[in-house]
Amino acid sequence: MAGADRDAAPSGVTATEREPLREIGGRQVMAGLTSALAWLQANQEVVNDLNVFPVPDGDTGSNMYLTLRSAVEDAAKAPEPGSAASVMQAAAHGSLMGARGNSGVILSQVLRGFSQGLRGHQRVDAAGVAVALGEASAVAYKAVMKPTEGTILTVVREAAAAGKRAAEGSDDIRQVLQTAVAEAHAAVERTPDQLAVLRDAGVVDAGGLGFAVILEGFARALDGDPGVAAEDALALVAPRRVGEPALRRPGGGPAIASGAAPGERRGAAAVAVRHEGWGYCTEFLIGGPGLDVDALREELGALGDSSLVVGDEELVRVHIHTHDPAVLITRAAERGRLSKLKVEDMSIQHHDILERAAAEEAQRPPAPHKALGVVSVAPGQGFRSILTGLGADGIVEGGQTMNPSIEALLNAVRAANADSVIILPNNGNVIMTALEVDALAPEVAVRVVPTRSLPQGITALLALDPGGDLASNCARMEEAIGGVVTVEITHAVRDSTADGQDIHEGDVIAVVDDRITQVGRDHLSVVEAVLDHAGREPELITVYRGAGIDEETAEQLVVSLRRRHPDVEFEVHDGGQEHYPYILSLE
Amino acid sequence: MLHIVTDSTSDILPSEAAALGVRVVPLTVRFGEEQFRDGVDLDADAFYARLARGGISPTTSQPSPEDFAAVYRELLREPGDRVLSIHISQKLSGTLQSATLAAQELDDRVTPVDSGSVSMGVQFLVRAALRDLAAGADVDTVVRNTEARRSRLVVYVLLDTLTYLHRGGRIGAAQAFLGGVLNVKPLLRIAGGVVHPQARVRNRRQGIDRMLALLAEAGPLEAVGTMHSGAPRLLEEVRPRLTAAYPELELGTGQIGPVVGTYAGPGAIGAACLRAG
Repeated sequence: MAGADRDAAPSGVTATEREPLREIGGRQVMAGLTSALAWLQANQEVVNDLNVFPVPDGDTGSNMYLTLRSAVEDAAKAPEPGSAASVMQAAAHGSLMGARGNSGVILSQVLRGFSQGLRGHQRVDAAGVAVALGEASAVAYKAVMKPTEGTILTVVREAAAAGKRAAEGSDDIRQVLQTAVAEAHAAVERTPDQLAVLRDAGVVDAGGLGFAVILEGFARALDGDPGVAAEDALALVAPRRVGEPALRRPGGGPAIASGAAPGERRGAAAVAVRHEGWGYCTEFLIGGPGLDVDALREELGALGDSSLVVGDEELVRVHIHTHDPAVLITRAAERGRLSKLKVEDMSIQHHDILERAAAEEAQRPPAPHKALGVVSVAPGQGFRSILTGLGADGIVEGGQTMNPSIEALLNAVRAANADSVIILPNNGNVIMTALEVDALAPEVAVRVVPTRSLPQGITALLALDPGGDLASNCARMEEAIGGVVTVEITHAVRDSTADGQDIHEGDVIAVVDDRITQVGRDHLSVVEAVLDHAGREPELITVYRGAGIDEETAEQLVVSLRRRHPDVEFEVHDGGQEHYPYILSLE
Repeated sequence: MLHIVTDSTSDILPSEAAALGVRVVPLTVRFGEEQFRDGVDLDADAFYARLARGGISPTTSQPSPEDFAAVYRELLREPGDRVLSIHISQKLSGTLQSATLAAQELDDRVTPVDSGSVSMGVQFLVRAALRDLAAGADVDTVVRNTEARRSRLVVYVLLDTLTYLHRGGRIGAAQAFLGGVLNVKPLLRIAGGVVHPQARVRNRRQGIDRMLALLAEAGPLEAVGTMHSGAPRLLEEVRPRLTAAYPELELGTGQIGPVVGTYAGPGAIGAACLRAG
């Protein structure tokens, strides 16, 4: 149904009214990729919102966006900009280096497959595009050890199959791509029928939707008026939100991206400001007395757009998108006392800045050469210190809500300056990225011990024998991680049903070894419920408090727990992680 | 006749020593001005009780050469008497140094031997030498056998805390491996005279499992035993598992005495083995 709507009038002009587009070269491919990136950026939050678990989670949309952005950046530097093969090859390489999260890794494989399909072609025709799509599907499937249907893989495959059928009856690339896009969206709609977790959570597959959006964005670039140079096609694309009007969350959820406010951010604005990036979403309160709201609105509003300046003489609320938040804040501070200040980089460049900082940090003091090194992924200063204290040679910033790129991991592996390096991903969504590093670092033997949580990572690191060889250490670490149970305490970010339990936004939930097991109103009762169901009483419970929990609060929790579990040893440490007030390890 | 001498770090109790027919020269434990002969004036239970009360930290000192000389002279009454003196690794204590100085005064009649081990490891060498003697071996054979056995001794100790090792200045190279923010329980391996941090674990269950796995990896054993420091409950946890694993061996059990306990601290559990030759 989504496909049918979409197919009918993507930009108000049907394919049949135009000359068929029989061939495209490197510049059109580049335009397609750029358009795909803008389209994905515009719809990034929609994809992010499709988390299966209602926990602050690996952001599929952001991961795919950052991966594709890296592809587009490299594609722009392709040695032969006029060659479809050259541009796509550069894109594939860039996507691999920038791949984050499992969805990013799979996307990089899709692009690699597409690039393989174009190999040797300066220009490509409709049949060639269909072949490349088929290759994309084949390579993506190969990259996943146990392919699951109802995911991005299914969507890519069905889109490719539709493209192939279309190419048999038409030599118009637009026709082929439109058919593939329609089928991709239709396949996304079917994912809940194929995957129970999606059905239970009332969502479609996020990675699948991400791919459909990318393909749609690519196709839209070629939809531009044929008289206009292809590289300028993007500017002509009428902004339109994906999923409107047909794409709805199964299970009666609200239509995705409906309503004016999100539309403003996700649709038109995204495409319109693409050259400057998104800027910073800056919010704060100005305290009076004697504030002149109208004067402030005029003065501060001029420093950015999407401005909202409301309030009275006592208190004014400011929300402005600006490229220079420093100027805005300085000016506002001259008018009154600032509070609740929040500055967010809307183009998510902070991911890259953090990574660059981490890479520089890792590179600064050249580590003495050693036989075996360990690189660990961790969020928060607390966990960094703990892992460093236990002998990790390099820490890559990242975790549940911010998956590191392959390149960041690769840099840390090289900086460890060791013959062999063990990577501890410490998150299920980072494992695939980590697995790609070995092939990119031929001078280092890289192995991944698939730690899915920070407690598992710490346990694995404790098992390290610096004098032992790579294989025996990996075996020992993998054995050790079975001895620890991870409990992550967080707050539900939306209503949901997971693992048979009704969850409401704001509920405290416990994720025990990747499964939601307890839901409640407060931290203590949820942790106690987890311990009551833990089976064998653990000997040691380590409590890692998150960034929002002070020492006293954590101690208070432990005092209460101790009362009910007098034989258990408790330890409290500062983990410093975001979004998860507590992470516990039960041993 | 050959006499066997050892020191109190073998953790052979005075009552056992009398029954075995060996002489145990005590080291000294001090709490400030108070001074105790290890195992003689202060037994393990009293020592750990005192540690638990807190207050001043204990220190230790090796026996003087004269302490050894007195014992040697007493044993070397007949012209045919000889002494085999088996001691704690000289890398861990100056005890062997004192014994060697004393032995130099007595021509070639005393043979000091560095066990390269501690606690039950020393004990295994002593007991094996006694068995050799009982089997009618001559002096040179007993000495040769004892020296040969040293390389087959391995002692593991799972400490409850690093505090005591740290306080006693005996942590050395293990510092980097064991230091850090998290509390870890170090599993130490003592072999060839040196203490090596074998592993670090977060709880005893993991540590004991690891220790027993390491013993199993050591292959066939000639002797096996387990010892604790003020933690009989842990001994009872390990004992049945070792008995089940080595039904043909007589299991040695004991308590880590005050001197070694000064460094191991309370709550440690260990296992020692003499691998088959």
